[in-house]
Amino acid sequence: MVDFSRVQKELQECNKDVKLSGISVKPKADSLSHLIGTIPGPVDSPYEGGTFLIDIVLPDGYPFEPPKMKFLTKVWHPNISSQSGAICLDILKDQWSPALTLKTALVSIQALLSAPEPDDPQDAVVAQQYLRDHQTFLGTARYWTEAFAKMSSHGIEEKVQRLVEMGFPEALARSTLEGVGGDENLALEKLCSS
Amino acid sequence: METKTPDFDDEETISDSFICCVCLDILYKPLVLECGHVSCFWCVHRSMSSLRESHCPICRNAYHHFPTICEMLHFLLLKMYPLAYKRRGKQILEVEKKRGCFSPQLANKQPDEGDESKTSNDEKADGKVSAAIKENSMSALDYDRSSDMVSRTDVLLYCESCLVVPEDEVIICSACESPHPGQVPKVCLEFSNFLEEKFPEEYAVQRKNVERKQLQFRPNNPSACMFCLSTDHLFFCCYLESSNSMKSTKKDIFKAFLSGEDFIPWWNEHGSKVHIGVGCDYCGMYPIVGDRYKCQDCMERMGFDLCGDCYNTCSKRPGRFNQQHTPDHRFQLVKQPDFFRHIMLRLTRQQRVDTSETPILAITAGDESQDSPIVIQSVDAPPVVSDDDEVYSMHVNDSTIDGSIPVEFSNTSEVPFNNTSSAAYQDE
Repeated sequence: MVDFSRVQKELQECNKDVKLSGISVKPKADSLSHLIGTIPGPVDSPYEGGTFLIDIVLPDGYPFEPPKMKFLTKVWHPNISSQSGAICLDILKDQWSPALTLKTALVSIQALLSAPEPDDPQDAVVAQQYLRDHQTFLGTARYWTEAFAKMSSHGIEEKVQRLVEMGFPEALARSTLEGVGGDENLALEKLCSS
Repeated sequence: METKTPDFDDEETISDSFICCVCLDILYKPLVLECGHVSCFWCVHRSMSSLRESHCPICRNAYHHFPTICEMLHFLLLKMYPLAYKRRGKQILEVEKKRGCFSPQLANKQPDEGDESKTSNDEKADGKVSAAIKENSMSALDYDRSSDMVSRTDVLLYCESCLVVPEDEVIICSACESPHPGQVPKVCLEFSNFLEEKFPEEYAVQRKNVERKQLQFRPNNPSACMFCLSTDHLFFCCYLESSNSMKSTKKDIFKAFLSGEDFIPWWNEHGSKVHIGVGCDYCGMYPIVGDRYKCQDCMERMGFDLCGDCYNTCSKRPGRFNQQHTPDHRFQLVKQPDFFRHIMLRLTRQQRVDTSETPILAITAGDESQDSPIVIQSVDAPPVVSDDDEVYSMHVNDSTIDGSIPVEFSNTSEVPFNNTSSAAYQDE
């Protein structure tokens, strides 16, 4: 049984300073045990300018067990699977402590983005490239950020346009799209369910 | 602590210091860990590991004993935030009712009427805060004198200084007279900060006294704190654990346990003595290592258990979970069931083999022609282990009571695993 009163407090706390940190957590649907986190790519890294979505599932034992987190946005990083988005981070496994929160976990993931640990890789291919051919790695990571993590105004306008054509009011479509980080399918799902 | 006041407690603004780091609500029935960090009763209980030593949620300091509730803090919180505290109490009680196990009831004596007499009430505080409570080092701060905020609360506070550990002696809490388990306790950080804020002058004076005393003590006492003088915010009494300061068999066992990062060697040595998921109701050791005595007359779901040392000292304290235990109850000695031991041995062995180059002898279905017969261990041990402790004692039977191995296996040492496992490992 997840401690929902704690989760609620965490959400309040986290969303209080979204503007400052850029990190936000929102429930995916009605249930508080399935959430979507958003982190901005750290500056001075190939992920700068991107917005990364993270799928968060709270196990029954939360906060005594770590939340299950994985990237929804595709990302090129030695400790993150380029296929599944699985994250290799100790605090999400055996180093979890109940005093950590969703926000601190997301902050740690953000820190992982700026400081990869290729010696403990999740994605061996990326890690190899990181070690052997750093320039190519930076290029690929930047390209992936550009291609998958950017909510470029052009893209968003198109998506808004498509949603409007489906019959949703423009303002609502835009805010929903921003809420899910520009993922059109997620936005559509959300619009339909609300 | 980054948490802020919960919005729904408009009436009362709770200081960040008194927000539990785990449930992010007001501390309820607070207890203080050996490192000095505070959390709620159930939050600590649930975050403890049933298999090995636990770690403080905040600083990851390893500890092995479930602390008792700090009554001093409990009554202080009740006094300061009556509404929020009672609301939280109701919530917790609901959950407890659902789960069928209860936290200890603290006698709610209203400390409003008496004066000096009630200090005894507060003195009963838990071994850790009052840890410090030892001997001559009592310095009382009387809230009445200086505080307008907490009216008429005579909380007596013992300075956390001068915990002089007599050589070759177990620390005994002077309030509840129970021996203090684990390492020398540290200062309750929140309480210390709180006091410093509220009574800066008294606190400063007190600190000076303490420092003087400790200086005097240092020559005679090698375990005295070296850091007191250097810290400016509180006397962070990290009394160094000296080898002669405590004598207890339990401690010797845990020393290796707590210091060693590697779990496997520890488990190989002590694994056969660990009672998974069972804690001692007197000293709080969790899980119990060594002999375990189970009360046969306590009917509560939690049960009532003692470790060997506490059974022998015949302490008379109530259970940790409000059990209605009385001294005339009968105890039964429970041996560690071998079923668990074999599982753990198997796990640890597997890890060892995996990392080494030892050749592995695989036993598959085709190996039945081999002359060593395979005993199916799960015949005498049910495969499904419920979380109820009762099942433990059922496995104790003649063949496994002393950890001996069925005869067929005497030459291959302890490998009576069931033959459903695809591989067995041969030592050497």
